[in-house]
This record gives sequence, structure tokens and C-alpha cells, in this order.
Amino acid sequence: MSVASYAQVFERCAAAWPAAQRRARRAKLEEFLRLGFPTRKLEDWRYTDLSALAERSFEPARRTAVALQDALLPRSDRLVYVNGELDRNASTADELSALVQTETPGATGVDALNAAFATPGLNLALGPHARLARPLHLILAGAANPQAAMTHQRHRIHLGQAAEAVLLVEFRGAAGGDRLVTQTFDIRLAPGSRLRLYRLQDEAAGSQLISRMDARLARDARIDIVCLDRGCGLARHDLNLELAEPGAEVELAGFYQPAAGAHLDNHTRIVHAAPHGRSRELFKGIVGEKSRAVFNGKIVVSPGAQKTDSEQRVANLLLAPRAEVDAKPELEIYADDVKCAHGATVGQLDETALAYLRSRGIADSDARALLRRAFALEVLDRIAWPALRDRAALLLGYPPPAETALEP
Amino acid sequence: MLEIRNLHATVAGKDILKGLDLTVRAGEVHAIMGPNGSGKSTLAHVLAGREGYAVTQGTVRFEGKNLLELPPEARACEGLFLGFQYPVEIPGVSNLTLLKAALNAQRKHRGAPEIDATDFLVWVRECARVMGIDPKMLSRGVNEGFSGGEKKRNEILQMLVLQPRLAILDETDSGLDIDALKVVAEGINRLRAPQRAFVLVTHYQRLLDYVQPDFVHVLAGGRIVKSGGPELARELEEKGYGWLEAA
Ligand SMILES: Nc1ncnc2c1ncn2[C@@H]1O[C@H](COP(=O)(O)OP(=O)(O)O)[C@@H](O)[C@H]1O
Ligand SMILES: [Mg+2]
Repeated sequence: MSVASYAQVFERCAAAWPAAQRRARRAKLEEFLRLGFPTRKLEDWRYTDLSALAERSFEPARRTAVALQDALLPRSDRLVYVNGELDRNASTADELSALVQTETPGATGVDALNAAFATPGLNLALGPHARLARPLHLILAGAANPQAAMTHQRHRIHLGQAAEAVLLVEFRGAAGGDRLVTQTFDIRLAPGSRLRLYRLQDEAAGSQLISRMDARLARDARIDIVCLDRGCGLARHDLNLELAEPGAEVELAGFYQPAAGAHLDNHTRIVHAAPHGRSRELFKGIVGEKSRAVFNGKIVVSPGAQKTDSEQRVANLLLAPRAEVDAKPELEIYADDVKCAHGATVGQLDETALAYLRSRGIADSDARALLRRAFALEVLDRIAWPALRDRAALLLGYPPPAETALEP
Repeated sequence: MLEIRNLHATVAGKDILKGLDLTVRAGEVHAIMGPNGSGKSTLAHVLAGREGYAVTQGTVRFEGKNLLELPPEARACEGLFLGFQYPVEIPGVSNLTLLKAALNAQRKHRGAPEIDATDFLVWVRECARVMGIDPKMLSRGVNEGFSGGEKKRNEILQMLVLQPRLAILDETDSGLDIDALKVVAEGINRLRAPQRAFVLVTHYQRLLDYVQPDFVHVLAGGRIVKSGGPELARELEEKGYGWLEAA
């Protein structure tokens, strides 16, 4: 394995960094050179192969003009990065941009690479009882550069006691180009705070996105997450949620629908480290021709995390013979007085429902679309932000029907 | 309107229909009765074009067309409606979505434009009123959480909305209390017209007290073994099917 090209790029970048940063970055680079990209020998990376990246060479990405019109959501604030560079004109909350260096627990080579090259990202810190006035939309856009290019960013979201925020993290990419993108999020929720987090991924075919979110929930903190994935060449998301203190709550839902040729890998890990925690997880996927989805959902109930109440449900629709899905729930339970339920299914569209719809005159392809939409709605309906819900539904190909109510 | 000649059909490799003949003309109401497992639902599904039901012999003409070569959705668009014995629950597809998609698909087939959104709601609300269905239920998933009786009424609601030329109602009366039965009968009678026809699959005289059939047939062993007028239904109610099967 050779990752030498990354060291060469590092040397060229190093001159531009303040001396104070250089040492820490170099330490991370060395860590990366030692670890390399994760290989499939690692249990957590069995289905997603990054080994080809080692031989590649990526220049630091540069900002270019990108179209964002379709992404704009009303009554929200925006922080926009294009190829990792802040776009002040497109942003309404650029004061939240900062270089954040934080330690990532249990780092892999990718985390070290990310830290070595990190450029500024979102730095949201809310004091006790503070509340974001409007939802914040973090747009991480990618666009083609003349050469293969890479972007590495780190973000921090810290909510003080009983603070509240709504955040949409959007990974999007313009068609064309060859990109390596790593994005790391450090999320801390103080007691009683509440974060609604949406993660939307609509990258282009030429991109390889690796994202990682680590959230730590203090007493009675609550996080509601909806993750949506479509498109992309390769996307790997790690979502690690730690219910660190009693009474913390996690409501997590995800939906993925890889485009043809795409590879989507969602790894979630929910750790109940304290008693009286509650977690709900629902992940659904529709996998079609020549695409592949990986889902791994780990639930850990640590010793002493009594009265944990945890549920996980995973459902996949495989719609083509050459589609592939590897869905794996993993439970590790080290406490005895707990409620943990889980279930995973892989199936096809319900033939009985299909026959029923067709018997009413609805064409086969339309009936199938209605059933796919019905499957996706269970997750899409979790989006409590109507403009986002509509946009996400449209993006995934499930526009809302006109006839929604029969009330006078 | 419907001409079935020497129909043979198999399900899962099993011969179920074994030479069935039936002619239904416009304006007529036919009742088909018969013991459980005799093939009544199979006949209904074969006519509707359900996959998995293979016709091995015979012909079916509907309005002069060869029905058997049409896919199920085209049969519906031609004016055939099947009221299911076991209506299907489809969470995530609302009743309104189904109705509008079906109505527009059938209009498209006829070369008519899509229905106006307001006209649609007015029309569906009117049909729901006839069937005693709370309009709020129509925003829910198709049959989702409906009671048995509600599902059957919902079948008739769909029939009223779609206005088929031939409706085959498979045991729509089963499991209904007397009030629900009257509502279902009212729905059927409302649609009766010289240009329409009905095939009612039923076990009971009850429904036929409210919807007068012109012909009553007994389906046993995969064939029509006896046909008659409304009096045949009363005879069957008294004597059961044993005397026919023995014959
Ligand atoms: N999907 C199926 N697979 C296997 N056998 C079936 C299937 N559907 C119906 N049958 C069989 O076909 C016969 C006729 O069934 P059906 O048409 O439902 O009768 P009826 O409606 O008159 O009670 C029965 O013996 C039944 O077991
Ligand atoms: Mg039956």
C-alpha cells in the first residue's frame, strides 16, 4: 500500500498553515501514513473497499461556481462551503465558520487524514437555554476541479444545557469531477438540550464521500435524526451516538436509495452507557439495478445501563436481480433489565398490493412507484420541516400527491 | 357483455375451473353461489387477470374483446371491476391516491383528460356519503386499519367512484351486519343501469333480498352445474348444495 501522494500534497499545503498548527497536523499525517485507508480485513469495512484510494492522488479542492437554487429552503439560515471553501455570498451565517480541531475517538486512517488536512467548518456553540431562531442549513457542495481533488472538513455542534437547534447537513455534488471528501462532526448535547439533525446526501457519481458523526448525549438530552441518501459514487457514513447519561433519548431514521452504480454504506452505532436511555432506530432502503447498499446497525447496552429501552428496525427492498444489500443488525447487551427489540427484512414489493392496484386500472409501473413511495414515506414523514420534507421527497422521486385531504 | 366458454384454469398446478360457461348481458345481475373451494374466487381472479391463475382452455370475451390477452390494468380500464373477497391493506398509499390514480388511468385509457382536482373531491365525497364512509378515512392508507365491514364498503366505494360496466363482487356481503349489508346493497343498486352488469358471488340469500338477481348459478367442481331464476337461491338456502353435488 502506498499513500505517498498524500504526504507530497501535505508538504505543499504545510507552508500555508500557521506554524502552531503544523505540528499537530503532521502528527495526524504520520498517523494516517501508518494506518492507511481501512481495508476490508477490518470488520467495520468488510463491504466498503477504499483500498483503491491509496494509489490515487488528489489535489486540495478549490472553490468553483455551483448552482444552489434548488437547495435553498425558505426561513432558514445557511452556511455554504463549496469544495471545502466558505462561500460568503451564499451564506447567511458565515460567522459560524471556524477551524475546529477535535480529537476523534477510535480514529481510523480516514479520521487521521481528515484531521491532517482539515479546513474550517461549522462551529455552532449554543449557551444554556439558547435556541437557534431558524433552522441552520449547512451545505457542503462539491464541484469538478480540473484534477481529481479532495476536501476534508471538521465541524462542531455543541449545545448548552436545554439549548435547542435544528440543523440540516447537506452533502451535494455537481455532476462531473473526481472527488474524495471526508467530513467529521463532533456533536455534544448538554443536559436537557435537543438537536434535530437532518443529513441529506445527494452527491454526484464521481464522488467518494466518507462522513463521520459522533454525538454524545448528556442527561435527558434528545437527538432526532433523519438521514437520507441517494446518488453518489461511494458514500460511507458512520454515525455514533452515545447516550452517556441517564434519560437521554435518540430517535433515528434513515432512508437510502442508491442510484445505478452507487455504493452506499451506513454504519450506525448507538451506545447506551447510562440507565433509562431510550433509542428508536428505523432504516429503510430501496436498492435497484447495479447498486449496492450496506447497513450495519450496532446497539450496545453497557453494563449498568439498566432500564434501557431500545428498538431497531431495518427493512430493504431489493428491486433488481443485480442489486445487492448487506444489512446487519448487531446487538451487544451487557445489562439484564432492558427492553431491546430488533428486526431486519429484505424483500420485494408486495405482490398482493401490486395486483390490487393494477386491478383498479393503474399501470404496473405506476403501481410500483406508488408502493415504493409508500415504503419511503415511513421515513420521509419523520421530517418535521415541511419545506425540507417536500424537497427530499422530490429528490428521491416521490412527489407528494395533490389529493391529500377530503376536508371541506 | 361477457361470454365465457369452456373455461379451464389452474392455480399452482391444480385444475380448479373445468369447463365453465357463462353469458352475462348488459343490464343483468347474476348471482353465483356454490360450496367453499368450488372455484368462485378463482373465476373472479381469472376474469380480473390476476397473475398465477393460468387459463388452459376456453375463451372469455368482454364487450367483444378477447379479455384473456389483456393485462389486469387494461381490463379495469375497459370497465371490469373486481370487488375482492379479501381487500388488501396498503399502508402509505392513501385511499384518495388510489382512487385518483385509478380514475385518471381509466380516463387516460379512454382518451379523456385528467379529472379536475375539485371535481374529484366532490365526486369522491358524494360516493363516500352513500357508503357511509367518513371522508377522513379516505386520507388513510388503503384499507389500513379498516374493520372487515369497512373494507367491504370501501370496495363498493371504489366501484361507485370508478363506474365500471361489469362488476364482479366476490363475497362482498360476507361478514357484514344487516345495516352494512343494506349500505352495500344500496351502493350496488345505485349503479344498476341498462348498460351495466353485475356478477355477485355470494353464499347467502340475504344480499339477494336487497339486490334482485336475474339469474342464479351454482358453481361446483369448477363448472356451472345449475342455473335458474331468483327462486334457485331460496332453494339453495333451504337445501344446501348436497343435492346438486350428488346429482
Ligand atoms: N393461490 C392458491 N394456491 C393454491 N391453491 C389455491 C389458491 N387459490 C385457490 N386455491 C384452491 O383453489 C380451489 C378453489 O378456491 P376458490 O376459488 O378460492 O374457491 P371459492 O372462492 O369458491 O371458495 C380451492 O381448493 C383452493 O384451495
Ligand atoms: Mg372465495
